[in-house]
Amino acid sequence: MDHAPARSSRPDLDDLTRSLHVPLERIAVEHADLIEAVRSRVVTNASVPSGIVAVAAFNSSI
Amino acid sequence: MLKVHSRCDLSCDHCYIYQHADQTWRGRPARMPPATVQAAARRIAEHAREHELPVVHVVLHGGEPLLLGAAGLREVLAELRTAITPWARLDLRMQTNGVLLDEELCRLFVEYDVRVGVSFDGDRAANDRHRVFAHGGSSHDLVRRALALLRRPEHRASYAGILCTIDVRNDPDRVYEALLAESPPRVDLLLPHATWDNPPERPGPEPTPYADWLGRLHRRWVDDGRPMSIRMFEALRPGGGGTEAFGLAPADVLVIEADGTWEQVDSLKTAFHGAAGTGFDVFDHSVDEVARHPGVAVRQEGVDGLCATCRACPVVDRCGGGLYAHRWRTGSGFDNPSAYCADLLRLIDTVDAYPPPTRPASGERAATSPVDELLDDLATGHGSASTLALLADTQLSITRALLAACRDGSGTTAAWDLLVDLDRSAPEAVRAILAHPFVRPGLVHRLDSSAPPGLGAAVDPLPALAIATALRAGVPAALHVPVRADTITLPTLGSLVLPGLGGSAEVTVRPGEFQVRGGSVAQTVLLDPLAPPSTGWFPTRDVSMPGGRLLIEDGDPYRDCYGQPVESRLDVPAARALGRTLAAAWRIVHRDVPAHAAALDGGLRAVVPLAPDPARPLRSATARHAYGAVAVTPHPDPETMAVLLVHEWQHAKLGAVLDLYDLVEPGQGLRIRVPWRPDPRPPEGVLQGVYAHLAVTQVWQSRAATDDPDASAHAAHFLAWTRDGVDALLASRSLTAAGERFVGQLRHALEETRVGSR
Repeated sequence: MDHAPARSSRPDLDDLTRSLHVPLERIAVEHADLIEAVRSRVVTNASVPSGIVAVAAFNSSI
Repeated sequence: MLKVHSRCDLSCDHCYIYQHADQTWRGRPARMPPATVQAAARRIAEHAREHELPVVHVVLHGGEPLLLGAAGLREVLAELRTAITPWARLDLRMQTNGVLLDEELCRLFVEYDVRVGVSFDGDRAANDRHRVFAHGGSSHDLVRRALALLRRPEHRASYAGILCTIDVRNDPDRVYEALLAESPPRVDLLLPHATWDNPPERPGPEPTPYADWLGRLHRRWVDDGRPMSIRMFEALRPGGGGTEAFGLAPADVLVIEADGTWEQVDSLKTAFHGAAGTGFDVFDHSVDEVARHPGVAVRQEGVDGLCATCRACPVVDRCGGGLYAHRWRTGSGFDNPSAYCADLLRLIDTVDAYPPPTRPASGERAATSPVDELLDDLATGHGSASTLALLADTQLSITRALLAACRDGSGTTAAWDLLVDLDRSAPEAVRAILAHPFVRPGLVHRLDSSAPPGLGAAVDPLPALAIATALRAGVPAALHVPVRADTITLPTLGSLVLPGLGGSAEVTVRPGEFQVRGGSVAQTVLLDPLAPPSTGWFPTRDVSMPGGRLLIEDGDPYRDCYGQPVESRLDVPAARALGRTLAAAWRIVHRDVPAHAAALDGGLRAVVPLAPDPARPLRSATARHAYGAVAVTPHPDPETMAVLLVHEWQHAKLGAVLDLYDLVEPGQGLRIRVPWRPDPRPPEGVLQGVYAHLAVTQVWQSRAATDDPDASAHAAHFLAWTRDGVDALLASRSLTAAGERFVGQLRHALEETRVGSR
């Protein structure tokens, strides 16, 4: 069995929608790929300045 | 992958370890000696430390790893956890035939958080075609017993799924039903290992029996509503990401054999004797040295590492050339398509074709994908109620995934157990807390700063989340909650500030109140909104809006995520004044641009006051991690505030979309000149700018239809900014296909921007 997480770079809309109906205690098992994708996309990007788009009206990154 | 035991208690005739070309197992020790386990664990830890890896995946494999017995496995697991967890999160897995699995082993796997995959080929006839003992006896009942043990609620967390090696002589419907009956979290379907030297068995006249067989199973799975995760089908979807067997991602698996030698992926054993060898071992060679081995390095090159036939193939990004081992042919080595190439091509067609796209009736718009529908709807400038609900759901789902990731890092705690219980008994309360905009920043902060662990972890946010949920649900509970700067903040409810609480306090939830004990302090807090607040308790304040209650968030520590100082708690007159301004501004948005007001109703839940700055009195901001909130300086003019709210809510919606889709090609380093700033901006900033300015244009155009003397000039000004920004963005070639579509639609909306106007 290929135990490694899928090499997805972003959370999938279907997975996100389906995981909402999975009890918290089973998410880690049934949506392991989603967790890795979120961790990679959301958390890892957090340390990159451009990942936090703190967009403001008149003085920001826009 | 750790080969902790190199022998097996079954004698499957399709096993690539013992029955195929490579026979190196014969010269290896039966079990991995303790000194080798220790050396392997140190090498992995060394690599995690040097590269600051957030996570390491280790799979215990064989042979059959359960032959080590419970005591032997405990020693291995303890060694791995001790050596690696100070440096990275350790995701422990095991692949087993399940024959020896018992309750003691299941308890061990739960204790060490090991997720177990079981090899099982389906119904009795299918399974026993290959998976038998040396004496020919069936393994079917024993494997099903193992799967039943893993399904038990107390063991379920350790149930990873089923590995099923297919055989086209088996009945695909019976195999599918047998797999489904075991309620696996995931099924991994494996093509029998084959090469061009030893091609796949094709027992009938059909040229692509494997695609046909898998296509039948795929149809059942789709028709049944995809009741379980089937990795192969999910990976083959466009953008499915891929696995070791499919896709172009770099290979990221190394094997440590029972004697401590480093090897490449073990499926190579099907190619020729010694195919997986590297000449390195864990005693003398690091992971980096092995990674430079030519056999490993060539698999880091994506499409460039494939043969010419594959490079020219239109679906190369889907199959990635198939499993590396399946490309082998004596003479040309691995520089070939997969021996399953024809089957993979047909299977991709099959997966794409079923279910068929809905044909539009005559006169209807052509069917669009969910992605296109969502982007097209938001490109109108505002977005429908259903799109806003979908964005809110996906944001909540991301927060739940982050929560589970925190649990992965910390293990099971009392706070996690309480949240799990409340998720069962009071799901709406859990949802209400997790939808709070500043839960995600807290979880991200926790996960980000805890990688690598041991270098200053952030405060664990789970206890406060669990207590806040229990209070909202009215469920008695007690937990120790971390204290930060003499303060405990309960998301959505308020903050308790009590000097002397110490680093952690015991919080007990009772009906209508909670009690806190910590350091030298004890305090009971009554939650009756009509009673005066208890000493040290600063409840959140909110304003009634058409979409629900809008929180004035001036207490949550994670609101400090806007890249500029936030205001500390407002005094009562200031909070009331801001509340009045926000309520009036909301009415103005409904007056000017009802479609944008509906979008605000559908998602804006909190406003954060920014700290005053005399040099820049009018500011607002949105944070990517805090969907549902915007930050503003508490400007008293509701007409101005209305524009700020509309502007910022555009950023919030687009930020939520960017969590799901790439609209901008990453990593280009490109800068684009825009009319609203003197300095060139990155494409994502321009995208955010034009989306916000489109909405502001719509506000001013609406006001221009009234007696507002300046509105026309403002409308023309923002219209020009938006149009120029959109054109610059489209000309920059920095957008993905989805981004091109979105911005193209946005430009269309701009030209017809009467949406929502009076």
